Parts: sequence; structure tokens; C-alpha cells
Amino acid sequence: MASLVLSPAEQDFIIRGVEKGLRSDGRSNLDRREVTLRTGMISQANGSARCRIGNLGVGTDVLVGVKAEVNTWAPGEPETTGSVICNVECSPSAAQEFEGRGADEINVELTQLLDRIMSGGAQGGDGLDLSSLCIIPKQAYWVLHVDALVLDVRGGITDALVMATRAALMETRLPRVVVETITDDAGATQAEFDVVDDAEDMVALSGVSGLPLAVTFNQIGKRYAVDASEQEEAVTQAKLTVAVSPKMDICAIQKGGMFRGFPPSLLSEILQTAQRIAKEEFVRFGTLYEAAAKTSEQQSDGPSTGSTFLVPF
Amino acid sequence: MSRQELLSPEGLRVDGRRANELRRISCRASVLSSADGSAYYEQGNTKVLVAVYGPREPRNRSLMQPDRAAINVEFNVAPFSTSERRKRSKGDKRLLEIASFVKQTFEGAIQTSVYPRSQIDLYVHLLQHDGGTLEACINAATLALVDAGISMADYVCACTAGFIDDAPVLDLNFVEESSIECPALTLAVLPRSGRLALLQMESKIHASNVDHVMDLAIEGCKHIHAKLDRAVLAAANDLADKLSQ
Repeated sequence: MASLVLSPAEQDFIIRGVEKGLRSDGRSNLDRREVTLRTGMISQANGSARCRIGNLGVGTDVLVGVKAEVNTWAPGEPETTGSVICNVECSPSAAQEFEGRGADEINVELTQLLDRIMSGGAQGGDGLDLSSLCIIPKQAYWVLHVDALVLDVRGGITDALVMATRAALMETRLPRVVVETITDDAGATQAEFDVVDDAEDMVALSGVSGLPLAVTFNQIGKRYAVDASEQEEAVTQAKLTVAVSPKMDICAIQKGGMFRGFPPSLLSEILQTAQRIAKEEFVRFGTLYEAAAKTSEQQSDGPSTGSTFLVPF
Repeated sequence: MSRQELLSPEGLRVDGRRANELRRISCRASVLSSADGSAYYEQGNTKVLVAVYGPREPRNRSLMQPDRAAINVEFNVAPFSTSERRKRSKGDKRLLEIASFVKQTFEGAIQTSVYPRSQIDLYVHLLQHDGGTLEACINAATLALVDAGISMADYVCACTAGFIDDAPVLDLNFVEESSIECPALTLAVLPRSGRLALLQMESKIHASNVDHVMDLAIEGCKHIHAKLDRAVLAAANDLADKLSQ
């Protein structure tokens, strides 16, 4: 990610601090930073959210837009489900090395990770209900394009992405579809669908409350810290992202690169801590989301991108 | 596309404006905390976010110039910016062309000789597309550069204008821009000296009408200049408030 050059003294300071449970910004190892969340700001998207993780107005900033399209079924595709396609783009405003093609690698990594996390819960019946996205089996289905734009990276990019995506999907409204079965003269039945073009008549996605949230653990020295800042990530030896669903199921685990491996004994401790932290995070997310929904309802002229940029975020 | 009247007999356009009316403009500087300068600019439904970094160490030694700053512009269109979702590749020629126009425009306005051996980066994001992309990018970039404190000779204000049914019209939206009946002219001017920084037109127009269209565009630029100036003042007042607390 953004290459931060730290002096050996600074690195030592951070490592020893985390081993004692003290971090540079005063948090304890398991404390997370402030989260600011707004939804519904992109008027031409079916759902959108902007999420910033960081204290004092500076932090990892992600903007997510969800657009729904109707796709015609082709042989070989699943017959009774729709699909969700994620796409993450890191803006060069986050780091100079993301200029031109520099962000390609990390874009692909984050896209795959987001995809996996979002669909991880679906198999057990949790998470997004893809069969509800099917309009007519073997004929037409909804495709949800989730496009994330990363405006700034200050550590904890995965957590911010997952949070913003979850909020955007919860806020997504699809137009209602009316399906008619038409019988022609020969007696064969054919189903036809019609998308209702009424802004007041929109349908929410089903299963969004089962979507997971991600918690990232960074091993620093002999201990680990949650929601690392930029400086802490520069000293991290190994990074583990755990996605947990509201039912406390583990949806996805990903260990990110870096120099060393993870002692397996730490793993079970981390998984349990992840569940505990995720429980608190879901409560916090719920409060933030409701506040965001209320703010966007109060806007006089409907959702507007300006609402998140023209006022201090 | 359905054949709709771009200019009704009463003189109203598709969005209810008169021929010489600009779309509603809202803008704000200092919207991103980590960039040296940033701005968000809305003109009607076209929304642009610009982040400016610089002057800083050039990333590519080969781009470094010994007597002036190198300007680097990257233009990104968000996939959710158009009504149909479309993801453009980074090498898309249209995007590169717009980035190149923005770069050339500002090479004339930024006092690059003040920052030798350095690089000024402009990262432009188009968040919603409804016509007037280049004009919105230039206006937003001006605001972001002023916010970054980069030395400029003057503001750069841009505006589009066209010609429908014998009348010059100001500030085209997407429907008017993509119509074959309306030539689209984009013009950027440095308001104090009145010099043109950019002039671009893509379609056919009768030679005798060009002057009228250009004059109208310059008028539009003057209004935009006033708006940008107010936004800069608002940001400065904001900062002064924060410092005095």
C-alpha cells in the first residue's frame, strides 16, 4: 500500500507499545477508530454509501455505488439466481504509486477479497439472497454491480470496503418487476417481465442483514492490534482479515502478505476475538446506518452526491 | 434517440432553462483531508472531484524538468457515473484526451517556473456525467489548485456553448451535447486578462455564428469566475474560523 518510511526508532516504539497494549493514538490493542457513514448520495445509482474510518476527520475513505442491470440468461449460467459483481478501484489520490497502472495489482486483490467476503455467507443461507435476484429462471436476472472507489488509504482498507459495501447494499433499492405468463395459440407458455418505472415503488434486497463485516488483525511484535493505522501497518509482520456474519459465522479469512508467517496458536485466539469484536461492530454499524438513513431522508431535494462533499464529512 | 425539441418555441430548453442560462453550480474547496488541495464541483448534474498533490518529488525522473514543474493529470470516470453502468479502461483514448486538454490548459496558467524539478499531480474523478465534462474538470481543477496554494497567474474558467435553431445557447447538458443538431464549443478563459486558455469544438457551425457562440461562452465564464471566487473565500473564512477557535 502507501509506502511509509519509518525510522528504526519509530518502528521499535510502535512494536514495544503494542506488546504492552499501548498505541500511538491512545487506543488499546482492540479499540477501533471512529467511523463516519453516509448513504444514498449517488442519485443515479441504485444504492450508495461513503465510509471513512479514522479519527479527527482523516482516515481511509471509500465511496461505493451499486447499480443494477437486467441480464439475459445464457446457457451455462446458474438458472435460478442473479449475481453480484464487485469492482474496486484505488484512486491515485490515496497514494502516488496508484497512478496509471500502478494500482492494478491491489485493485484485483481487493476486488477478489470483497467478492469472496460478500458471497461467503450466501451458501449457508445467510447473506444476500441471490435467488431473489432472479426475474425469470433461464431467461433474465438482476446483476448488481458494486463499484468501490477508494479515495484515501490510512490503514484498514478492507474493513472500510466491507463496511461501505454493506451499507450500500442495505440502501440499494431495485425497481419492482412484474412477471406475466403468456400462453400463445399453440398452448406454450412464455414468461415476460416488465420493469415498473416508478421511483416510489422500489424494493429492497433480501438477505442484506446477513451480510458480514470484516475485522483486520495485524501482528506487530508478539501481539496483535485491530484496525491498524498507516504507521502500524508499516510495521506489521502479518495481517489477517476475518469476515464475520451477524450470526457469528466466519464467512472469510484472508492472510495478507508481508514478511513472516503467523503462529497457528494465535489463530484460534484471533478467531474468538474476531467474533467478539464483530458483535460490537454490528451494533455500531446499525446505529451509524440508521443515523445515515435519517440524514439522507431529511434532504430536501433527494439524494445527491453533493450531500457528502458539499458539507464537511 | 427520440426526436425532441432542444429549444421549444417559448425559448425553453429540455431542462427548462433559457438559452443564456447556466446550470446551477455548487462547489466547495478542501473536501479531501489528505490531498494538498481538493475541490468538489457540481454544474447541474455533472459532478467532479479533484485532488491536487504538489509540488512534490517527481515519481518519474524522466519527466523532471530543470527549470519548471511537470504537470501530471489523471482522469478517472466512475463506473456509476452514467445512467448505464460502464467501466472504462485506463487507456481509454477519450479519457486520455481530456486529461491531456486539462494538462495543456493549466500549463499556461500555473506559474511552473516557480517550482523547478518538481511535479504537480491533478487527479480528476468524474462522479456523475451529464454533459460539460471538460468544463467541469477545468473549473474544479482551478478550485483545487487554488486550495493547494499553487502559484497561478489567474483563475481558469471554462464553459460550453452551442447553437440551436439560430440561437446561441449556454452550458450544454448531455442531451444537447450528444445531439447532432447542436455544435458544442468548449472554451476556457483567464478572466482578468481575457485570454483564451482552451478552445475546442467538435461539430459543424457556420463561420458567422462562431463569434456569437464564443462571446456567450465568455460571458458564462465570467459568472463561473465569480462562483469560484466565492468558494475560495468561503474556504478561507472556514480556515480562519478554525484557527481562531
